[in-house]
Amino acid sequence: MLTSIMVIGIIAVMKKTNPSFLNGVPELLVLRLLAAREMYGYQIVEEIRTRTGEALSFGEGCIYPYLHYLEAEKQVSSQRREVEGRNRNYYKLTARGRKRLEELTTEWKRVTTGVTQLMGVQHA
Amino acid sequence: MPRTDFTEQLRLRLTELGCPIAHLRRLVQEVADHHEDLKQAALSEGLSEANAEARANVQLGDPLALAEHLMVALRRSSWWGRHFLIGFCVLPLLAVPVLWALLLFLGLSLEFALGYGWDWKKLNVAADNPVAFHHLAIAVHGADYVAIALATLLFCWLARRSVVSVRWMLTSCVICSLYALFFWATIKPHHFALGITWTPQWIRAVIPLLIAGAIYVFQRRTTQCFQERVAV
Repeated sequence: MLTSIMVIGIIAVMKKTNPSFLNGVPELLVLRLLAAREMYGYQIVEEIRTRTGEALSFGEGCIYPYLHYLEAEKQVSSQRREVEGRNRNYYKLTARGRKRLEELTTEWKRVTTGVTQLMGVQHA
Repeated sequence: MPRTDFTEQLRLRLTELGCPIAHLRRLVQEVADHHEDLKQAALSEGLSEANAEARANVQLGDPLALAEHLMVALRRSSWWGRHFLIGFCVLPLLAVPVLWALLLFLGLSLEFALGYGWDWKKLNVAADNPVAFHHLAIAVHGADYVAIALATLLFCWLARRSVVSVRWMLTSCVICSLYALFFWATIKPHHFALGITWTPQWIRAVIPLLIAGAIYVFQRRTTQCFQERVAV
């Protein structure tokens, strides 16, 4: 479900001109990152910032309610663990989250293909 | 995990905003972890302890504003938090009669299991028998009172779960109370009636208010105990 919650975490940092079609993008990004490996909140925020070339970013700290929401939806699961002397909540993708990621990826590809085609026609 | 002023302010503000304790503990813990990670990143860049702490605070922003962001995000993560007007003002009006009908059905099924009900001849005979009629009346009125109490508890639980403010929980209780005040169900031998009455049903109306009061006091006490325990 592409809900408005996804925008909440990023509005503090993303440009005001971000259109509403960015709804659902944070869900896609978080699930995509967690598909590769389990991560904690700070790592997710940093990865999104660096891997999108700082084009997209979660507000620091705002990612947690969002992760809790995904956990409530059973798309991710969490576990508190000590790694290198630090206790943190690690999040990982569940089977439901993986399925959701596939759906979102398909949808995203469909939208970007359409937009790219349109932009290509305009520039031709 | 060191308890910084930042996390302390965040915790206090979240408590003030009515964040349930389970959510609050986890959010504060994770934001404190995040703060520590930001600080460690700054230290690894060669900043002093004080400067690293200051930079982490700046990056996380105002703790009071962050607390409000977190609460908004928590609320919006559930249907009830996004549609509180429908959820806590309109649905209680529907929930009470639905629950009442369901409980009455269960009550009458029980009566049937005991040898009455679903058979009009038996019901007519039971209506003339004071003991049997008493059982039937208990089923009807019991379902009525239990439905009001259950609907109130349900909406209080939903309000708490969706992290909406206490006023929405109280609103749903008042609506259940108003419904109970004027909605009317009565049973007499060979006669059953439903409807709206202008003679207020005070006892029924008090049930949701008592439940709301008890839950409110319980929440306040739990929050205060939590505050005291954390302060120690």
